[in-house]
Amino acid sequence: MDCLEFRRRLGAEPRSQAADMLAHRLECAACQAAWQRAQQFEDRLEGALKIDVPEGLTERALLAQSTLQRQRWRRRQPWLAVAASLILAMGVGGYAWQQHDAHSLPALSVAHMPEEIASLDLIQPLTPHAVKMGFAGRGVALRGPVPSGTTYVHDCMVGPYKAVHLVTRHDGEPVVVLYFPHRQVSHVRNFQRQGWVGREVPMPHGGLVMLTDRGSSRPFSAVASAWTQAIEGHVEARTASLDDGESAAPKAP
Amino acid sequence: MRRLPVLRRVSPRQRQFESLTRAHAGDLYRFAFWLCGQSALAEDLVQETLLRAWRNMDSLREAAAAKPWLMTILRREHARLYERKRLDTIELDDVRVADDGAWASPERHGQAADIRAAMSQLPLKYREPLAMQVLGGFSCEEIAAELGEKPGAVATQLFRARQKLKTLLQDDPMEATDHGLS
Repeated sequence: MDCLEFRRRLGAEPRSQAADMLAHRLECAACQAAWQRAQQFEDRLEGALKIDVPEGLTERALLAQSTLQRQRWRRRQPWLAVAASLILAMGVGGYAWQQHDAHSLPALSVAHMPEEIASLDLIQPLTPHAVKMGFAGRGVALRGPVPSGTTYVHDCMVGPYKAVHLVTRHDGEPVVVLYFPHRQVSHVRNFQRQGWVGREVPMPHGGLVMLTDRGSSRPFSAVASAWTQAIEGHVEARTASLDDGESAAPKAP
Repeated sequence: MRRLPVLRRVSPRQRQFESLTRAHAGDLYRFAFWLCGQSALAEDLVQETLLRAWRNMDSLREAAAAKPWLMTILRREHARLYERKRLDTIELDDVRVADDGAWASPERHGQAADIRAAMSQLPLKYREPLAMQVLGGFSCEEIAAELGEKPGAVATQLFRARQKLKTLLQDDPMEATDHGLS
């Protein structure tokens, strides 16, 4: 670095600690003296630019901010109240729906299955008499022919409800049938829960829930028809097939 | 019975803002004053700057970056103000500095007052980078980035700003020139 460059940089950045400027100062007495005068000038300049700050400046700035914040908060409050009400309503609604769903026949039927899972492995068909006795235990007299391929029958408690638990073989695959005497089902509805595919079907004097763990609702229509005929003595149109969709409105009888 | 102080919960964001204000309001005011030349306007600029900083507090990541960050906001506020009230904003050249409250100090008629009077006569293009450097501690590169200029151009502005100050102070202006070698 030469003296010209040093003085130019000294004029632009007098406080610079650059190594090349320091090195030049050490070897040039004139530039060292110029540097000292520049430092004195900078001290005076810094001191002069630090003018007095108005008293209470900080407090007034904080007051302006806190006032603005409060104004914003007031403007937001009605919206916050509405938002809080909506969240509360959604929470209550969600909880109510959860409680309602947990006590539905599909939910209770699926929850019942783990303790009866071995019944799916039975392949020996029961006699019609044995099946009729199973229904008789629930005070239900069968009015039609017992479907062939019924391999299991038991009077169970499914949640708080009395039920007849059956397993019917359809094309060799087991289909669980739970008949709930005197339980009302509003309409035919397919469902899927915890690996089970199911359908609930309304009947004149109770409700029927079918379950399979084979992934297809294909056998449900035939099984529902067969058991409706067995229980009621005739087949109703509303037990007809519902192969598509998760749910459907009640079909006209 | 002696009353206990009221304890209030203050959010971390609010605490940060209060600390920021207490630490930097003074420097911001000085910088604002050397930009606009009016005490009342400088105080308005500080308030606007701090309110804007509060709204954007989440973008401040490091405490060390706070001062340059605030000064950048202030510069933009000043530019906005200048655009809005072009006719109301005046050059320091026109300010009778002795009438301003900011000068009311014992040094008023001393050396510092002379430097302030000289500073007030510098055009904004010299005064602004000089204030950024002296008050804000910005380097040439940082000032260049702020002003959208090249570092070399900023270095020249700073050099000339000091040269003009010394001329006005009847100091030795040649000290700062490249002809002043001895």
